[in-house]
Amino acid sequence: METRVGSRACACVALLLFALHACLGHEHIKLQEDEETSEDVKFRSPGEDVRVQVSGRALVPGVRTQDWISNARVLLDGDTHVGFIREDGGFSVSDVPSGSYVLEISSPTYRFQPVRVDITATGKMRARVVDYIRTAEVIRLPYPLQMRCIGRHSYFIPRETWIWSDFLMNPMVLMMVLPLLIVVLLPKVMNSSDPEMKREMEQSMNMLNSNQDLPDVSEIVTRFFSPPKSHGRAGGGARAHVGGAHGVRGGASNVRGGAPRRRSKINTAVTYSE
Amino acid sequence: MAWLVVRLAISLSLLYTASAVFEDQVGKFDWREQFVGKVRFALFDTHSQASKKLLVATDKNVFASLNSRTGDLFWRHVDKTGPEGHIDALLMYGQDAVVVVGNGRLLRSWETTVGGLKWEAVLDTGSFQAAALIGVQDFVKYVAVLKKSAISLHDLSSGSQIWVENLPDSDTVQYQTIYSGGNGLVFVLGFVPSSHIVIVEYKIEDGEIMKKKSVEAAWMSSLENSCAVISSGNLLCVDQITQSLYTLPLQSAEPTEMRTIHLQTLDLEVASGFQPVLTSTQPNPAQPPLAEFFLQLSPDHHILLQLKDDLIAPLRDFNPSYLAAFATSGEKTFAAVMTPKNDTACTINLFSADTGRRHLDTTIIYHMDPNGGKPNRLYVHAFLKKDDSVGYRVMVQTEDLTLTFLQQPGRVVWMREEALADVVTMEMVDLPLTGTQAELEGEFGKKADGLLPMVLKRLSSQFILLQAWMAHLWKLFYDARKPRSSVKNEVTIDTLSRDEFNLQKMMVMVTASGKLFGIDSKSGTVLWKQYLEDIQPNSIFKLIVQRTTAHFPHPPQCTLLIKNQDTGLGSLYVFNPIFGKKSHISVPALPRPVLQTLLLPVIDQDYAKVLLLIDDQYKVTAFPSTKNVLQQLQDTASSIFFYLVDSSQGKLSGFRLRMDLSTELIWEVVIPTEVQKIVAVKGKRANEHVHSQGRVMGDRSVLYKYLNPNLLAVITESTDIHQERSFVGIFLIDGVTGRIVHEAVQRKARGPVHFVHSENWLVYVYWNSKFRRNEFSVLELFEGAELYNSTVFSSLDRPHPPQVLQQSYIFPAPISTLEATLTEKGITSRHLLVGLPSGNILSLPKMFLDPRRPEMISEQSREENLIPYAPEMPIRTEWFINYNQTVSRVRGIYTAPSGLESTCLVVVYGLDIYQTRVFPSKQFDVLKDDYDYVLISSVLFGLFFATMISKRLAEVKLLNRAWR
Repeated sequence: METRVGSRACACVALLLFALHACLGHEHIKLQEDEETSEDVKFRSPGEDVRVQVSGRALVPGVRTQDWISNARVLLDGDTHVGFIREDGGFSVSDVPSGSYVLEISSPTYRFQPVRVDITATGKMRARVVDYIRTAEVIRLPYPLQMRCIGRHSYFIPRETWIWSDFLMNPMVLMMVLPLLIVVLLPKVMNSSDPEMKREMEQSMNMLNSNQDLPDVSEIVTRFFSPPKSHGRAGGGARAHVGGAHGVRGGASNVRGGAPRRRSKINTAVTYSE
Repeated sequence: MAWLVVRLAISLSLLYTASAVFEDQVGKFDWREQFVGKVRFALFDTHSQASKKLLVATDKNVFASLNSRTGDLFWRHVDKTGPEGHIDALLMYGQDAVVVVGNGRLLRSWETTVGGLKWEAVLDTGSFQAAALIGVQDFVKYVAVLKKSAISLHDLSSGSQIWVENLPDSDTVQYQTIYSGGNGLVFVLGFVPSSHIVIVEYKIEDGEIMKKKSVEAAWMSSLENSCAVISSGNLLCVDQITQSLYTLPLQSAEPTEMRTIHLQTLDLEVASGFQPVLTSTQPNPAQPPLAEFFLQLSPDHHILLQLKDDLIAPLRDFNPSYLAAFATSGEKTFAAVMTPKNDTACTINLFSADTGRRHLDTTIIYHMDPNGGKPNRLYVHAFLKKDDSVGYRVMVQTEDLTLTFLQQPGRVVWMREEALADVVTMEMVDLPLTGTQAELEGEFGKKADGLLPMVLKRLSSQFILLQAWMAHLWKLFYDARKPRSSVKNEVTIDTLSRDEFNLQKMMVMVTASGKLFGIDSKSGTVLWKQYLEDIQPNSIFKLIVQRTTAHFPHPPQCTLLIKNQDTGLGSLYVFNPIFGKKSHISVPALPRPVLQTLLLPVIDQDYAKVLLLIDDQYKVTAFPSTKNVLQQLQDTASSIFFYLVDSSQGKLSGFRLRMDLSTELIWEVVIPTEVQKIVAVKGKRANEHVHSQGRVMGDRSVLYKYLNPNLLAVITESTDIHQERSFVGIFLIDGVTGRIVHEAVQRKARGPVHFVHSENWLVYVYWNSKFRRNEFSVLELFEGAELYNSTVFSSLDRPHPPQVLQQSYIFPAPISTLEATLTEKGITSRHLLVGLPSGNILSLPKMFLDPRRPEMISEQSREENLIPYAPEMPIRTEWFINYNQTVSRVRGIYTAPSGLESTCLVVVYGLDIYQTRVFPSKQFDVLKDDYDYVLISSVLFGLFFATMISKRLAEVKLLNRAWR
């Protein structure tokens, strides 16, 4: 049973090797071969095997080296080879046999990008970017290694805090509160019993619908759905409908926005009960 | 683009599966203890009076600085395991400590205040013999390292090599010691066994050999312990056979013979069969050593002697005395001697080294732990007080690796249990119920004896409960008035009781040195310890919980099987895991090597599970073996099967128990050893529960899991380690029938393989040698859409082979251990706990290791909540359950269910011990820590008042309407 990773990555490797061959010439291919043969000579007697020292510098910008090096270590392939960081930030890992290793700096506070170090059977070294999927891709890095801190580890996730504005801007809440406001407040604001007010409103309505020939969309809709006799108080009715339609449309979009979140919550519930 | 979509989908799904630690939870239910291991070298910083540093180098390849006032670590450097990280020597001068590592391969200088590396020098190969600081004109400037065939001199401030010289005749002469008295010369001392001593004299400046001479010494067998240089260059040796001391001035012009002093003339005698030991002291490397020295004549007899005008005179005889050590403060040197006082205590006294006179009021009484070992090392820190009198503190190391730091007049300042740096196996045991709880429980257990007594009994127990509750309230009230810091719930062995969710348990830990510990899981306090003497250093331990605390009034019972790795002979140690007391149950003798143990669900009349031990003649011993048990075994013998593994012959065999406790072979699987070797065999954990029988698919059908409790996972590795031909094999074998359920081969792969076998899945990690990366692979077994026999699983009646699904993923980091979470009922989703070499423990949702992860997202897969397949496994630092509390050299992870379904207890052990709780599906069955009581109560009150007000308003309105 072959695994899926193998076949997929294999294709990538082949492609990349071809590309490299085309643009960089023979050097890389040769290195590649060297590594392959030297990978498993780890446990030969020290006489015939080359053992080299991998060295470099580690830097945490803005932090004195004394403050972080006492609990940092340099690890090659887990802890098969271990090095320590000097007070000037430099480090060296001794007695590394030929092969390909991932070098990382382990510190409980600071984060470093790991680097792949290739050592040929003759003791030549190079550093490149770690890529576990396209393992043969070579993006060279300077050697001796320059390890620069890329930030602190974030171990904690923030607690969800409860804020009023979050609650108010919640689509469900908006959907409930806005129509309520419209239902309760609009009749109070527009005192329909005052005839002067009524005339003013009608005027403004006419001003809005300046083009009388073009029928209002909402009016068409109302006409379509309602019996024809309710034509009398079209202006006010149409307005109310516009407002209502807006509300609903807004609501609908909100529902759409809300739906995935709700569903995913249900989904998580499903996984729990599994 | 598709890549991005997949990434996005993953990160979205992560939002809901991540179970991270919140910052305010730090230290709430987790703790870490850091250890260093068995101390090989310990040096006190005598540079300044106020210094609290104590430097230690240990057999775990750890170099650390301890706070001598509290015993805590200032800093610690963990080197690689094995001989390459072995610390050969530790030297200290001023603020710098020089360490020789890896059989003399590396020379490192550490700055001891912050623990930074000053320099590191690589030396030539060659086996390490000795190292010494070399001083010139009262200044220590160099460090000399003696190898088997060469000597080299290094500058102390930069590490640069000054010179290296080959030693003359190194193939015949064994060079073992360096000596320098600060006069510009380095002496290298070697010898030819039973022939002569060789002394080579080097000039410090350029390494030129000034002089070389050999002196007749036919009695010589070793230089290291039986010889010492004292008092301006006098070599002193002691020999047991001739019962004599020999002296020789190193700088004498002509090669002379060694002067012989018979021990008889001093009225001394070396105990027969004991190799006498000479201990001298050189307080300042730039000056010659003192003329005083200790001579140990027998294990408990030391004598302080002095060399004066070529005469050796005894200063003080310490008989009996266990340990003796020198200590220097300023210009004065003292000798501390430990003498036995009575059976349980020792006294330590301080003597002036040059006269042998005892200093007044310097007695320290050291109480020996009755459950511990004997003291075997003594480290002394002497200092001058303001009134010029002398004070001192001592650190005592015992056989069971306890470090005790004492000060006058015998107060224990701190104690470290360094045996815990090497935990081999552990178990978690529930704590017992309190008296009142047990009373209640007892009520239900007994048979009814009438209505009225039962009512009375119930009333009385309710009254007891009320009383306890009142006491608890009173205590709360009482504690609330005291300042917060003084209210500290000290856990003692008497106050131990189970909490309401069974979150606090007893951790029973077995260490390689043969010391057992009982640790409270909530606080990390060691509640009991027991040192088992006469344990071979390479023993194998297996800890079995035979009876839990659930069977009151029977005490819980644990059994430890101790097996000698070479002979295979075993012995049983039965103890109470709560109190650490040895049980007085008679233990069966095991005359033959034990091959396999089996804990049966069969229970004897005292509720102890039956343990079967199978020896190399396939005979079965039952423990306990009462009549009741034997009767039960006879009844159930036909359904008791067990398996044996012989990895040297590549043979797996299955046996069945017969009525007369003999066995019959049922099946045998041979895996040819020429091609591959069996690395590991693992069944499923006996205490795991599977809640759901199947998985609901997107189309609402059910895919049933293949839940075979007898399934064994066998991992093999190829004997050919060539990168192209190496492979890892996986066999799933039914332990009852021997049928191979599934077989898989991972080509171009090699170990070490870590794996977890649980429920219907197997997750394993291997090294892909072609692409040089770690890969995870998951195997899941399903019965299909129908269950063959839904009521009971029988290995003997399974006509259909299971469907096997597999998927593999890249894991972008090395791995040191792998374990899965475990909960009470198995409802909570599972997480894998991955120990990384950096010391972090990653909690990886099992969801990511699901062979049904689709490559293309479909409606059905979305319905099933499957994450789209991505080759690379994500590692997020938020998933590290131990945040920055890293655990060095993780050796094992132990998981145990708690009383809460959502909570799994995790103990990580290695060089350190870390205990925490994980919530793989978050805390769904208890209110969260940040539950907003204020909000919920304000909403409730708000609604309440709103109804009140609106009711009132409605009434007013109604009234107004009525009036209209």
